[in-house]
Amino acid sequence: MLDNIRWLIPAQKDNQGENPEIIVSSRIRVARNLDSIPFEIKMKNDDALRLLELTRSVIKQRLKGKFYELQKLTPLEKESLLECHLISPGFIKKDSPVGVFINDKGNISVMINEEDHLRIQGLSGGLNLVNISEQVFDVEEVFGKELGYAFSENYGFLTSCPTNLGTGLRASVILHLPGLVFTNEVDKVLKGAVQIGMAVRGIYGEGSEIKGSLFQISNQYTLGLKEEELIEQIIKLTHMIIDIELKARDVILKKARYEFEDKVFRSLGVLKSARIISTDEVLNLLSALRFGIGMGLIKDIPLDLVNELLIVSRPANIQLYYGVVLEEYERDIRRAEYIRNRLNNPESHT
Amino acid sequence: MLCDDCKKNPATIIFKEVLPDRTVELHLCDECAAKRGLISAKKMSPLEVLHKLLKEKGARDAEVICPVCYLSLAEFKRSGRFGCSHCINTFEPYIKTLVKKIHNSDKHIGRKLVPGRKRGIEIYKLREELKKALEREAYEEAARIRDQLKDYGVEDVG
Repeated sequence: MLDNIRWLIPAQKDNQGENPEIIVSSRIRVARNLDSIPFEIKMKNDDALRLLELTRSVIKQRLKGKFYELQKLTPLEKESLLECHLISPGFIKKDSPVGVFINDKGNISVMINEEDHLRIQGLSGGLNLVNISEQVFDVEEVFGKELGYAFSENYGFLTSCPTNLGTGLRASVILHLPGLVFTNEVDKVLKGAVQIGMAVRGIYGEGSEIKGSLFQISNQYTLGLKEEELIEQIIKLTHMIIDIELKARDVILKKARYEFEDKVFRSLGVLKSARIISTDEVLNLLSALRFGIGMGLIKDIPLDLVNELLIVSRPANIQLYYGVVLEEYERDIRRAEYIRNRLNNPESHT
Repeated sequence: MLCDDCKKNPATIIFKEVLPDRTVELHLCDECAAKRGLISAKKMSPLEVLHKLLKEKGARDAEVICPVCYLSLAEFKRSGRFGCSHCINTFEPYIKTLVKKIHNSDKHIGRKLVPGRKRGIEIYKLREELKKALEREAYEEAARIRDQLKDYGVEDVG
């Protein structure tokens, strides 16, 4: 039982480093498999149970945090872990026994028996890939020393899918790019990123329906480069995109200053006063708010509060935050209430 | 700036070629850059490359079977997934070409394996031995194995 998600919030909102108004969060994930157990497609129920038993014995002795058997969580709790980016959509759908470990701070999670035996991942607000990767590899080493990973000199760490071979590492950042969306340049920039071998996707919604102007960039290749080099590539690309985003913001200020300011303050007004706010609407309102803070229009709302609102206002999270199961209509009312309280009185948790 | 080739679309790519006596600079749109082969028209993701390659027929695919997990090459080509840590050796040299096309590299240069106690394999073996001992009704032996498992921190050894 997750109880509620309040203990997970600090890791999600924590915001540090350069351009926090654009770089929302960073994530590192490594895929690992044990030498001694068949991989996903050849795994029997017994193997899955053994994998869980082995990893649990390591967790118990060597790590601090909580372990959940996914089968024992309610659908709402699973959804909430997904909304916090601690587990993957594919993980929820698995029939075989699966479990997830989440460390005390709520910033490291280990999915056990996903597509690979272990998917170890770390997340943080802002651009913080190097620090997060160190924490992830500390945990990776604990499991490796105890359990023995599948490894080949030529192909590195062996994974279920050949596209993850080598480092098994995926580094990603979530960027807020309202300037590029507003000036219609976002497609061009993101296509360029794909050309140099990066994967790009909208965080909420797809194609032209992308909501909240949030995008994720990540490396696609995992073999032939060192872990630090893969991370360095993402950091470099992030810097390039930030430059273009900042230029687009200048253009907006020159050409449409009042329209832009109007949008920001209208959104803030709605967030502070509305009585019903839907899941989709909140994404665009918070996007405008973050944009306004980034441009220096709003000075009394910290960015980490915007990060918190973004995570807690997700449909499952808002229910677990209040510890009640809610229908959509009631949920939209509670969401508005929660946002209103937090923005009008940032010091107190309701 | 308009594309130097079609003179219609806005240029999105600057291509510089350094010749011995001068540097040629071309401003191109995506389409014309693709026509010249400077960029691929649509860049395929590693997963798309994998699935395209897996569809290509080989001459004697079905005959290779992994001795550890019994995954056949044909099965691998259907699923695009390895069955165990030995598969990669079983399916050499097919894998070598495949990996090179997916990652533009076939040599890992990242982190090395930290030598471990291979406790996984040992616990796995002990579990098997325990099962066999119980089948033979050799309870003293079973109790001894249970103790060993407990030393590894494994409880619930049924």
